Amino acid sequence: MITCDEFMAELGNYLEGEVANEVRKELERHLSHCRTCQVVYDSTLKTVKIVTDSGSFDLPEVAALPIREKIMSRIRKETTS
Amino acid sequence: MSYFGEVDLGSSFQPFYTLRESYGFVPNLFRAQTLLPRLIEAEAGLSASLLWKERALSRVQKEFIAFIVAAAYGNAYCFAQHHQTLSSLGVTENQIDQVMRDHHQALSRPDAALLDFALKLAFSAPWLSSEDIVVLQDHGFTDESILEAILVTSLTIFFCTLSTAMGASPDLHLPAKPGPRKALRPATGKYVGGTAGPYLRTVELSPDSFPPFAFLVERFGFVPTIFRAQTLIPDVIDAEADTVRKILMPENLLSHVQKECIFLVGSAANLNTYCVAAHCEMLRRMGVSAEESDQIAIDHHQAELSDADKRLLDFAVKLTSRPSEFHSEDVELLRQHGFSEAHIMEAAAATALNSFFNTLQMGLGTTPDFETNRVFGPEDAHPFRAADRLTNEAQADPDSELVARVQRGDLDAFEELVARHSRRVYRTLMGILSNIEEAQDAVQDTFLKAFQHIGDFQGRSKFSTWVLTIASNTGLQRLRERRPIESLDEVPSEEGGDFRPRQVRAWVEDPEQLCSQAERRRLVESAVMQLPPKYRMVLVLRDMEQLSGLEVAAALGLGVPAMKARLFRARMMLREALAPYFASSARRMGQ
Repeated sequence: MITCDEFMAELGNYLEGEVANEVRKELERHLSHCRTCQVVYDSTLKTVKIVTDSGSFDLPEVAALPIREKIMSRIRKETTS
Repeated sequence: MSYFGEVDLGSSFQPFYTLRESYGFVPNLFRAQTLLPRLIEAEAGLSASLLWKERALSRVQKEFIAFIVAAAYGNAYCFAQHHQTLSSLGVTENQIDQVMRDHHQALSRPDAALLDFALKLAFSAPWLSSEDIVVLQDHGFTDESILEAILVTSLTIFFCTLSTAMGASPDLHLPAKPGPRKALRPATGKYVGGTAGPYLRTVELSPDSFPPFAFLVERFGFVPTIFRAQTLIPDVIDAEADTVRKILMPENLLSHVQKECIFLVGSAANLNTYCVAAHCEMLRRMGVSAEESDQIAIDHHQAELSDADKRLLDFAVKLTSRPSEFHSEDVELLRQHGFSEAHIMEAAAATALNSFFNTLQMGLGTTPDFETNRVFGPEDAHPFRAADRLTNEAQADPDSELVARVQRGDLDAFEELVARHSRRVYRTLMGILSNIEEAQDAVQDTFLKAFQHIGDFQGRSKFSTWVLTIASNTGLQRLRERRPIESLDEVPSEEGGDFRPRQVRAWVEDPEQLCSQAERRRLVESAVMQLPPKYRMVLVLRDMEQLSGLEVAAALGLGVPAMKARLFRARMMLREALAPYFASSARRMGQ
């Protein structure tokens, strides 16, 4: 049975689905026995989902439009000069 | 009508009755296989059990799944067939067209979610996870209905593959055509690889009392988990066992080894870890060494096979991963290597059946029955697949036409590219710079640079990935100028996996229900801005922009291990920051 530290060392790869099958089995066996690691794993998954779905750092159209105009006017100036 | 000759099976051939009852006529696809009636029997049996029976899902729900998957596969034959069946079930032309254009607008939310699930399973199966199952459960679907959705999706892939190989012409001609085929591609969420389940409830069945299990024990020595995971609907296991019996068991045409090799290369092409392990084991039992079956899975051209067998496996790989390029010449090539029509037909059915089981297995998420010596990852590079992905991705780049126009000097096309990508470029730059004004300035710099260099853009990656790489470089440059003291370089001691979590209270089941989208956005933005830049930028590209790990590493000029270490650390730090809001005993926002 692996320790919590060993679990944490592999968790990053596990979240990315990049562990060999034997390691995955070990990790899952650990998860089924260790409540703390279960919580960390579950809340990290939820964190990733919240981040992905949050729509953070969105550029509103009112800000996007003038930026687009500036870019295009600089490019048109460059290409005609 | 098809690439193959037709023979008269007489009026007593039972499957033709069943097909006539269901369609009103015998579809061309089945007429094309009259040389091998056992194939038709197996396929009619599968259709009857998986598609035609009303169970937890209605006929219309199942036909919509089949229709949308066939459309995305770019298969004109199955597209027309399911279009017609939907009409015969009373769905209006208008509604069918709307579903094809945008099923989210056309259907109820649960039904739209069902189609999202089917499309992800059909074209991004290795990215499917238990979370996708939970989404359906949250929409009220039972495990039985989810199992049916998985089965219908798998069956559609089977028929799309088979009708491509047979060259069957559509039974009726529709004005609308499905678009070009979408390649196997990454989807939202993480790469799971199809072995993180089983996702669905099962019931216990014994080989002593359930004959299909007895058959499987006889054939494999045990009941593989892929079958154990379907016990909620036992009679589909019966239909599948019968299909295995009729397509794989006979040895009068292709040998067992040849068929197992077809399954092996097809499973490798579909990045299916479970099935590759299973077929390597089957081959080992037939006397093929583990090294040799590995070689066949990785590149069968380098294996100790006859020329004819290599062509046979080329046929299976092309049919599996590049069906849109498959033509009558591919059938002809096998004929030239000595395969008869019946051999080729059997190879086509075996290839289609392999894709059926590959899709089914990924949907169920069963763990391998055998030790795996080959576990596929997102960047896995089968020599053919790698080449496929490159060209398919370039073909599938929705910006390629605009890029070509810009390269010919069309500035309006560039304006359209700016409009399409300015938001993601901005988000990437906010991730790096964490300052609104500076990020907006850097958006301009990014697109100016992109314009200056667009002549060099070769389409080796997607335009969107290319422009985000420019954005990252622009942002990093500015960051270095702004903070010459802060090192962005590796600090190995900080990046090990030794980060200890401090908040260990369980989170609520569905944290996103706790606060509004706007509140979540504010929370995430402020937490991300608190992260040191080197963590922040990795997180933004991977979890917000959802680039692959390799793309993030390339965009930031990092090695993959460093990128992974930073990503993990960033996620853990963010988890700590969000935990006070989402832990089950935490105070709710606004309280």
